[in-house]
Amino acid sequence: MKKILTLLILLSSLASASLRVETTYTTFGAIAQKVGGDLVSVHVLGSAKYDPHFIVPKPSLLSKLHRADLLIMNGGGLELGWLPPLIRGANNRNIQNGAKGFLDISHFIPLIDIPTSVSRGFGDVHAQGNPHYTTDPHMVPLIAKAIAAKLEVLDSDNTPVYEKNLDSFLQQWTTYLQTLDAKMKTCKDKKVVQYHELFNYFLRRYDYKSFGNIEPLPGIAPSSKHTIAIINTIKKNHIKLILQDVYHEKKTAKFIASKTDATVVIVPHDMGADGSTTLEGFYNNIAKQLCR
Amino acid sequence: MKKRLIFSLLAATSLYADAQMDAMKEQLNEQKEATAILEAKLNNLESKNTNQSASFSQNAYLPDMAFILNMSAVGRDVNNDDYANYELPGFIDTPDTPDLPFNANRGFNFNYAEVALHSVVDPYFEAFAIFHISPDELEIEEAFVQTTSLPYSFRIKAGKFKSSFGRLNDKHHHVWNFDSQPLIYKGLFGPDGISDAGIQLQWVAPTDTYLMFGAEAMQGVNERSFGDTSKNNLYIAYLKSSIDVGEDLSILGGLSYAHGKNTTDNPTDIYGADLTFREQLGSYSALIWQSEYLQRNKALVPTTDKQAGLYSELVYQYNNNYSFGARYDRITKNETDLSAFNTDTGDLDRYTAKMDYKPFPMSRLRLSYTYDRSKVIAGERKDINEVMLSLNIAAGAHGAHDY
Repeated sequence: MKKILTLLILLSSLASASLRVETTYTTFGAIAQKVGGDLVSVHVLGSAKYDPHFIVPKPSLLSKLHRADLLIMNGGGLELGWLPPLIRGANNRNIQNGAKGFLDISHFIPLIDIPTSVSRGFGDVHAQGNPHYTTDPHMVPLIAKAIAAKLEVLDSDNTPVYEKNLDSFLQQWTTYLQTLDAKMKTCKDKKVVQYHELFNYFLRRYDYKSFGNIEPLPGIAPSSKHTIAIINTIKKNHIKLILQDVYHEKKTAKFIASKTDATVVIVPHDMGADGSTTLEGFYNNIAKQLCR
Repeated sequence: MKKRLIFSLLAATSLYADAQMDAMKEQLNEQKEATAILEAKLNNLESKNTNQSASFSQNAYLPDMAFILNMSAVGRDVNNDDYANYELPGFIDTPDTPDLPFNANRGFNFNYAEVALHSVVDPYFEAFAIFHISPDELEIEEAFVQTTSLPYSFRIKAGKFKSSFGRLNDKHHHVWNFDSQPLIYKGLFGPDGISDAGIQLQWVAPTDTYLMFGAEAMQGVNERSFGDTSKNNLYIAYLKSSIDVGEDLSILGGLSYAHGKNTTDNPTDIYGADLTFREQLGSYSALIWQSEYLQRNKALVPTTDKQAGLYSELVYQYNNNYSFGARYDRITKNETDLSAFNTDTGDLDRYTAKMDYKPFPMSRLRLSYTYDRSKVIAGERKDINEVMLSLNIAAGAHGAHDY
């Protein structure tokens, strides 16, 4: 009897030991795991192999969200096309917008490229600014701090643990950033074009200049007229790098490369898009592709 | 001679350099003046930049608003008057009021303009409304409130809404994979489906596999299957579940049941089963197979009509611009009094093929061909060929759709 009781207590404590954390994308998942450690179980809704704007809101994601204690999202409009119906259908009051278990990381990030005027005539413009900030490794500490603060609200008993995890992660990350920044200083060629404005935060951080996008307008497929314009831009400015994400068609980029001296490099937009399994691996891969 | 040439050349360059310097100085002065003007303007603006907001402005609380337009060009080998009076044997009879809200005419049709509103009401409710405006009428297609913060995974919806019976019923026309309603839906419920005043309760099970149970009580005004409204008569229950096979294949299935009272004061029972497979082939590419089977037992005195039908559709989304699809519709059971027909009433079915072109997620052009073998026109069974080009626009702040 006693044994059973002990077992039951053990099981129930196991069940309540971990906070269920759902993140919309993989980079947040990895950071949440670092900060939460053993106290959280983390699951990611959107696969890194797909366009983050167009994750399919399949019903299995409802059952994930349904039991979440915390939902961590990118914000800035990136999830606008798929997350709201999931939050609505999951019947979980803890993760509603405004509830305790809802965390929009973009509220902690200084967004760039905020448009002065917005119309869908300009394509699928993000009205709040460019939401692809996770490509900049210097944003990671901001994200980690926001997550730690939220975990401490949800699970205040374990505040010291989250603080300790956060400190050691930040320390480790500072060291990593020193190495990465030093490496990025050695890059010679800082002129690029990209498919979509996915890498603006990284490019700005390390003084790259983007001369244009392969898509004529955000969310609009390449046109021949615009492709010719990009080819001319590349030739005129002696650009060597075309940044291509993993999920768009790659034909146009390859065609442009064949008409110019530029090379197509496939750059991950999120951890795991390139097969990376760690945050360092993810940012190292971006750096490796860009630093020539 | 040579020396003189060199000297004069040197003088010329130095003169040129002087002239350039002067020009630059002038430019600099101009810019300084321009900066001074700008600074003055900025100071002026800053001094005015106190809080001047309207004391009672509520602009920040305006609901999300979108408008949806649907129109078409149709070619059909039946004239408009005959088509308006078609019969679907056993389901739709000529005496019925014309049942063609969309694409009734050969030539051009403007089907509807809809205004769709959504707003968070307070920390406990959110509200939706869709005002459906067709050339002849304004209809409240849906208007309901829904809870956001009930405990124990419950959600309650109340108002006028489309029932979540089956797979297609609660989807709006503009998100359907095909422009025409499946035969069995049209036969059992009419063009609006089960859309009624009532209340809905949904519960999501705390399991790793998605499992949702829903129950609804509705007025039951739909006269095709229900319609005895001396008091509320319609009760609906359904179970939906979904599993993923690997990362890219998701399967969604549902079982639905509706029980109501028809206009003869006798019970009508409707059973539904649906199954959807979706294989994701890339960010913008997928293969979707959706099928649904519905059966109605409608008690009349002294007999009970037993009727059933199905549709099955396959859609291949090639990229974010193009998708292709085919649908098969069939009435599989039609045990009712068909003696009024002096024509063949068996094998009622329909074949539809379509191609969508979406230049952008908010607009869609759709070309479709339909071969319809389900209609009786002017007392004779008549196969109908139809080609249609439809345009659908969803502009403004329109929220993402459910799966």
